[in-house]
Amino acid sequence: MMLTRAVGLGPALRQAAFAPRLVRSQVVGRSLIAKRNVQIQSLPSTASVEILNKQRLKRPNSPHATIYQPQLPWITSIANRITGAGLSVLLYGFSLAYLVAPGTFDSTHIIEFVAGLPEVVKFAGKTILAAPFAYHSWNGVRHLVWDSTTKFLSVKGVYNTGYAMLGLTCLSTIVLVFM
Amino acid sequence: MQSLARRFSSQISSNARLFSTSTVALQATPVQKSVMNKEFKIYRWNPDEPSKKPTLQSYTIDLNQTGPMVLDALIKIKNEIDPTLTFRRSCREGICGSCAMNINGQNTLACLCRIDRNTSKDSKIYPLPHMYIVKDLVPDLTYFYKQYKSIQPYLQNDNPPEKGEFLQSQEDRKKLDGLYECILCACCSTSCPSYWWNQDEYLGPATLMQAYRWIADSRDSYGEARKEKLQNEMSLYRCHTIFNCSRTCPKGLNPAAAIAKIKLELATE
Amino acid sequence: MHCQGTGNILSLCSVVAVRHASDSSVYVPGGPVYKGTVNDPITFPPPSRSAGSYHWAFERLLSAGLIPLTAAAFVTSGTNYPVLDGVLGVSLVMHSHIGFNSVFVDYLHKRKFPVLGPIVTWTLRAATVGALAGVYQFNTNDIGLTELIAKVWTA
Repeated sequence: MMLTRAVGLGPALRQAAFAPRLVRSQVVGRSLIAKRNVQIQSLPSTASVEILNKQRLKRPNSPHATIYQPQLPWITSIANRITGAGLSVLLYGFSLAYLVAPGTFDSTHIIEFVAGLPEVVKFAGKTILAAPFAYHSWNGVRHLVWDSTTKFLSVKGVYNTGYAMLGLTCLSTIVLVFM
Repeated sequence: MQSLARRFSSQISSNARLFSTSTVALQATPVQKSVMNKEFKIYRWNPDEPSKKPTLQSYTIDLNQTGPMVLDALIKIKNEIDPTLTFRRSCREGICGSCAMNINGQNTLACLCRIDRNTSKDSKIYPLPHMYIVKDLVPDLTYFYKQYKSIQPYLQNDNPPEKGEFLQSQEDRKKLDGLYECILCACCSTSCPSYWWNQDEYLGPATLMQAYRWIADSRDSYGEARKEKLQNEMSLYRCHTIFNCSRTCPKGLNPAAAIAKIKLELATE
Repeated sequence: MHCQGTGNILSLCSVVAVRHASDSSVYVPGGPVYKGTVNDPITFPPPSRSAGSYHWAFERLLSAGLIPLTAAAFVTSGTNYPVLDGVLGVSLVMHSHIGFNSVFVDYLHKRKFPVLGPIVTWTLRAATVGALAGVYQFNTNDIGLTELIAKVWTA
């Protein structure tokens, strides 16, 4: 059996076994010469794309933000977006509120309301407003320097300007809060 | 010739026998290095069992029996513990870019990354972030290469010099330093959050730095056409100077600065 | 984190889209199936300077202009010249609009979010128009932005 398989006789013999007795010997002879009956599914070359795409659809996406090391460059960058978005939401919120209800959100009412708050809340509120403003402003300056001069765009430059920006942010926040 | 070889080999084996029986007793016993076990947690996903979620598999090896680099550890694990662990590697010296992966949260080449000798902490090894995974640590880089091809990374000039080669001043040649050395390992592109969210449209740092490599080349005369291609919302301007690319580049190159130069050139021309 | 959240939604949506497509060769932006073969380069959208370098330069010039403008508006705040206050208000709203728009292009682009993307973009446009009107109303009928901030700060 091993031998017949090795020389490719297996299928031919199997076919011969099912063929009518009379022609059996003939069949053996013909199939030996004419065809080697190996089971191959014939596909057009374009089918490879289909097979590959089926494989591709099963592929998982590797983990990204959750496993990436926390590093100053990208943290200062996403913080810039968050602080900017926060301040902008406040601006849009107030403008739209005034547009809809100018009687409730006019300056007199707002100032009265804030004046009535306890000192601790006022202090906290000022910090929450001043810190993102200072951060977004100084980081904005950092970005403008990069964009307009392409200087400080080395790993060292990014870290040094980053620390300088954070220092200035702390200082400005303190100054603004005590203003 | 054959007899010579046979004689030579028999000589070796007789020598070895001699060595093992007599000399070894006279030799000082080698200093036994202490065992220094370190745990490696490696991302695994098998395409033959696609319904199984990717997992972190833990392997512990003795660092005193391993080479100094993370690639040495991976090869040791594959050779001695788990032959099914799959990763790309070739040159083992940081010039082919095959073994790019995320090691302890940072993209780098496994062959250039030393194993952290602190055995109390495990080392986590993931494939390049936000990529479709072929198997284990092997990401599908097809799209990355398609993007690279789209910037026509070859010299284009309709007026070649009448004889001889293109000439270039030393200053012009210097402009290409820090650009041409890129090995396209994809560490930078896959470290970029903008590339994570928009990689089907945004070219990413590696490809953009190569775009600039040809824009900056004084011998290339298609600079305008190259720049014009980038004049849209997505291809170039998804870069927000996050700087992960330059921070992570295992070759010490600076894609962020190259992209900043493209933007400035586009704005001031 | 914000980007993380959108990343998960994003991959989820593309998976859903793929399931619906059922034909495995259908291209989904950001999905694992690509247009063309391995050897075809990707294609570029038609060039448009207003979406490219002009937009980028305008964004930087506006941001840079905000620094002296903010200082000047606070100095002249409370005087009879509320023009700077008005210019600052409009500039801040434009700066915010560009910022919001950049966020939506990054995380909620319409090619990946065919329903949510346009909704978010048009909501932003409407909100910006409203905010501009609100800022104008406040600066003409009330005390103006800078004076409000100054007074609230010391209230």
